[in-house]
Amino acid sequence: MTVAPSGNRPRSAVSHRGSTTAWTLGAPAVVVLAAVAVALSWRSELPDPIATHWGLDGVDGFGPFGPNLAAHALIVAAFSLALWGLAFFAGRDSLTRRLCNSTAVGIAVLFSTVLVGNLSVQRGLTDATEAGDTGGVLIGAFVLATSLAVVAAWATPADPPLPATAPVPDDAPMLALHDDEHVAWVQQVGQGGTMIIVVSSATLVLVLELGLGARMWAFAALFAAVVGLLLVVMVRWTVTVDGEGLTLRSLLRHPRIRVPLDEVVAAEEVQVSPLREFGGWGLRTGRAGRTGVIVRKGPALQVHRTGGRVFVVTVDDAATGAALLNTLATRARQG
Amino acid sequence: MYSNNYAYPVIFRVDPTAPEPLFAQLSAQVRTAASRGELAPGERLPAARDLAESLDINLHTVLHAYQDLRDEGLIELRRGRGAVVTPRAARDLEPLRDAVAELAALARSSGISPDTTLALVKEAFR
Repeated sequence: MTVAPSGNRPRSAVSHRGSTTAWTLGAPAVVVLAAVAVALSWRSELPDPIATHWGLDGVDGFGPFGPNLAAHALIVAAFSLALWGLAFFAGRDSLTRRLCNSTAVGIAVLFSTVLVGNLSVQRGLTDATEAGDTGGVLIGAFVLATSLAVVAAWATPADPPLPATAPVPDDAPMLALHDDEHVAWVQQVGQGGTMIIVVSSATLVLVLELGLGARMWAFAALFAAVVGLLLVVMVRWTVTVDGEGLTLRSLLRHPRIRVPLDEVVAAEEVQVSPLREFGGWGLRTGRAGRTGVIVRKGPALQVHRTGGRVFVVTVDDAATGAALLNTLATRARQG
Repeated sequence: MYSNNYAYPVIFRVDPTAPEPLFAQLSAQVRTAASRGELAPGERLPAARDLAESLDINLHTVLHAYQDLRDEGLIELRRGRGAVVTPRAARDLEPLRDAVAELAALARSSGISPDTTLALVKEAFR
């Protein structure tokens, strides 16, 4: 069954565009221009060519200053533009904007810090082969980028309240409920076995490559720790349907995602294919701007929300959750 | 791999206008779910605070229900891990249910009231 989101036009479409542009284009531009300015101010103190890559036995890649600078700036610009487009045109849901804003900021900080860090160890040298180790630069850049990405996600403005005006459609699944009954449906998101296997093996390959290949064990360990923490947070969510609406809490209780009852247009059970529809697992924005907590393939609870937003969570017994959500939304709207 | 021991396949519902106390309504639902196999050993019940908030009832009502269930040995209350269903909760009650159904049918066909039947059952346990 499909429930058409009717009578609730996407009204919130314009209000976020200023902040979205500021976070995905403005902030990365400031960061990368600052890095470029610092790099240019050091130009006379740098060797020519400069060291651009470090291998097992020190520097193993060299290049001219200008193109190297441009390459860093262009990579950041490309990511920023792509993320701006996604958030600007498909960012109806604050979840999408949070993901885009934090990724844009994270990438800008990562590349800018690496650029400045790698140049800083070459100041005053005439021969770039003498440049020292930059393992610390990578660790510092990674920590700074991750932290500022979290700040950007946190600072992204939430969606303004947008209560539904139309009743829940008659053909939406419902549950027989007594008027005085207090009801709660509590579930855990489905078992993310495939997600855990894929993410862990990819991380293991990278960690071994960083460790054995480049001898950057400290960075490899830090990277594994961050991915591990993300995996724990992203794979375990408690899903609740109650008088507040639909609420998801991660294992650490944050982040929390809520679809308030008065913004529920209609809910239903759907089948989800993580790779095909969402391009992966975790906190996702998928095709047509659908957002979701996607940890496995199969049945999922899908909520059509006001403002043209659609949220999906892969959870067992989704039919019951959807029916209860429709029923509670109907009851609340009847006052 | 881990087992599927984090699901709460229970819909909790309480009715303040019903004569039965709220804590008893709640514990009865867990009991029924466990005896039907909808709650398997190792599965967790929601944190008492969250459930109280969701159902818009007093935290002590939920704690009361959980404590009763613990006293019956159906759940274990562990600090930090919440309420976990014990193996005992999932004992196969099917034969007992069948016998009870048979008893109820017999009482009904013989015109013996539920109260009298229950009195006889209680007497049998003395």
